[in-house]
Amino acid sequence: MKSYVAQRLGIAVLTLVGMSIVIFALLRLAPGDIVDILFSTAGYVNESEKQAILKELGMDRPYWIQYLDWIRQILTGDLGKSYRYDIPAWDVIRPLVPVTIELAVLSIIVAVVLGVPTGVISAVRQDSTLDYVLRVLSLAGLSMPSFWLGMVIILGMVSWLGWIPPLTYVKPTDNFKAHAIQFMLPALAVGYRSSALIMRITRSSLLEVMREDYIRTAWAKGQAGRVVIWRHALKNAILPVVTVIGIEFAFLIGGLVVTETVFNLPGVARFLVQAILWRDYPIVQNLVMFIAIVVILSNLFVDMLYGVLDPRVRYG
Amino acid sequence: MSRMRASISLAIVSLVLVVALGTPAISQTPKSGGTLNVTQREDLPQGFAIHETQTSSTVWPSMPCFNNLVIYDPAKKVESLDTIVGELAEKWSWQENYRNLVFFLRKGVKWHDGQPFTSKDVKYTFDMIREAPDAPAKLRINPRKDWYANVDKIETPDANTVVFHLKRPQPSILMMLASGYSPIYAAHVPPANYRTSCVGTGPFKLKEWRKGEFVEYVKNPDYFVKGRPYLDGLKYVIIVERGTRTAALQSGAVDIPFPGETSKTQSEQLKKAVPQLVVTPVSENVNNNIIMNIKKPPFDNLKVRLAVSHAIDRRALIQAVYQGGGVVGAAMAPKPHAFWGLGEKELEALPGYGKAADEKAKAKKLMAEAGYGPDKPLKVEMVTRAIPVYVDMASFVINELKQIGIESTLKQIETAQWHAMAVRGEYQIGANLTGLGADDPDGNFYENYACGSPRNYTHYCNEQVQKMFDQQSQEVDQKKRLQQVYAIQKKLEDDAARPILSWRIDYFTLWPHVKGLIAQNNVYNFGRMQEVWRDK
Repeated sequence: MKSYVAQRLGIAVLTLVGMSIVIFALLRLAPGDIVDILFSTAGYVNESEKQAILKELGMDRPYWIQYLDWIRQILTGDLGKSYRYDIPAWDVIRPLVPVTIELAVLSIIVAVVLGVPTGVISAVRQDSTLDYVLRVLSLAGLSMPSFWLGMVIILGMVSWLGWIPPLTYVKPTDNFKAHAIQFMLPALAVGYRSSALIMRITRSSLLEVMREDYIRTAWAKGQAGRVVIWRHALKNAILPVVTVIGIEFAFLIGGLVVTETVFNLPGVARFLVQAILWRDYPIVQNLVMFIAIVVILSNLFVDMLYGVLDPRVRYG
Repeated sequence: MSRMRASISLAIVSLVLVVALGTPAISQTPKSGGTLNVTQREDLPQGFAIHETQTSSTVWPSMPCFNNLVIYDPAKKVESLDTIVGELAEKWSWQENYRNLVFFLRKGVKWHDGQPFTSKDVKYTFDMIREAPDAPAKLRINPRKDWYANVDKIETPDANTVVFHLKRPQPSILMMLASGYSPIYAAHVPPANYRTSCVGTGPFKLKEWRKGEFVEYVKNPDYFVKGRPYLDGLKYVIIVERGTRTAALQSGAVDIPFPGETSKTQSEQLKKAVPQLVVTPVSENVNNNIIMNIKKPPFDNLKVRLAVSHAIDRRALIQAVYQGGGVVGAAMAPKPHAFWGLGEKELEALPGYGKAADEKAKAKKLMAEAGYGPDKPLKVEMVTRAIPVYVDMASFVINELKQIGIESTLKQIETAQWHAMAVRGEYQIGANLTGLGADDPDGNFYENYACGSPRNYTHYCNEQVQKMFDQQSQEVDQKKRLQQVYAIQKKLEDDAARPILSWRIDYFTLWPHVKGLIAQNNVYNFGRMQEVWRDK
């Protein structure tokens, strides 16, 4: 087990190094840089002034030196300075991380709470009216972009209640109710889409397991339906569901852009898009690395979970 | 009997007058207290460094922190020389036939950090902007150096007096000084610091700027205007998504929209949903225009440029693209939204403003004279900024040009590349938007049409017109100046220097409890919030 984790962490480090090179290169390949954007807000361009700013920001140095400098900064815990805000990148990033993590976790909880039970019901009541209704609902969830659903929720609230969720971040310690509402609405919008996927995977996986001989044996032994389904069938059908949950969580960390934008939540994803538009390299590079780390760790966590859920899984 | 009838009539008239005039006056008595939530469409591009940017995204949320020497009267809707009032300058006086402008500053004004404000701060600010040889500091980016090109030197005889010595008379320099783009910086604060914080003399002090979320101000208790500001605070809420911004205004979560953002259709929808909202149509002082690279064929040919200008039906553009939310005008924004623009009658005589069918026929004739026709169409690349408001206009123009035999392919340019491309002249023809910091011919002509100006994207350069610019700039008599400005506008359209397609109208939509905020005909100038109060 320990050697497996060490091996996976070794691979993770290599992946992160690869990611750092890719993101560094891609950013430099994109047309324009922060100085172009700054001049754009001023409505003119002056080449000598542009060169002076590039020098001031250290962007006139060869790329490989800039890259090594960034890696050195990461290793020393210094993420550099935001080009746009002229303050340490960590000061910009730090408040964003908890917002996105909280939203992603809540969205996954909503997705699991909605997706797994409905998947089970749909499988158990295969081809019944309830099954069809749940499948239509899940198809709708998959077809409906979460940002669209988010906007519909907001417009509905404004039209019917004349109210909109808080537009700036409310700390749970300041006002727990407002905080909960601020996060639950986007979590519902995002969680509904993810729940549709989880529901379909749960249903198909459970249907497959329920045709196994040992399930037929359990039924033949006269075990209660609840025991057969939840203890014997679902436990063996859950592995692909856990995989999907892990993938969804990793996806959500970077994929909440539009939801955070629509609900005006100051999270990582929304800020990342703004940082890309501004070519704020220190912010973009470090946020992408953060997302990569979360993806790698969530995959590792899912792999570890396999062993807990299925004793046949061995790490070596 | 007749005397009695007259008395009764007088009494009724008096009662009507009291009801009509008196009641609002009573209800308009300003109240102090409360905080207003204001919409901000994006995070501040360069913090509070107004002198380093040219966007309302900076000037709108930063203005409450600062003061100018002079400012446009916040109670007047249309700005002009006559509506300028003192701010840090208590009064001012012209000397030596409009060559010297003397400002007498208010005494006892303090910066937000407690330091005293003096004439040195004024000299420091404007020497830095005009890049005087002995300027003690330098701006990283300096977009408005040209505004003060006529300033020869600035002297400070004492702590409360500043003298601007001009190279030649320029009465309208006051128009630039009154713009929201002309705040006074503190001489003891490095200009770079304004990118992250704000030390001003303004009615509000910066409390917090939470990046990407909000900018919060509190009332400046030491403000030099007694009893102002009325509000205890301001909160600029950054809402990037346009739909959410509209929903926030509709719900009342924000009280004030971002200026220049509400279209006619949007305002109608908002008004339908919340009838008590107050809508004020106001010029943004932003125009849609066509830039043609005069240094390169085929647009070095005046006939081709004029054909383009004739071909575009301005009124149809306003209806189709802006659902009626715009007005036609030449180089200066038209009346009654602004001061210097040509009237409808004068416009009709200019290329592109007549009947659409006649204009298209004239355009085809010009194209034929230039050697193009159905057998030999002119193929060009139309560039525009990759932002919907630009692309919509460009698409309309492409369709218009197609009707006179100009086949255009649309190329969208990222914002990061747009100005660099335009300044370098790396294009043939483009659909562009131009915003003016002040409704004044000097600010516009020298910036967008003068030989050698970095923002003269078309590279139009006409010595005769340049002399006309200088002549109107020096003219002391406003009536004469107006006539000269009319003549320049006609000449610019006749030369197809940068055909203007329309002037944008903002349908500024407020909650009725917001009082004292008059949307002026310039999105850059009315954000001070000194006179704003909350009737709730």
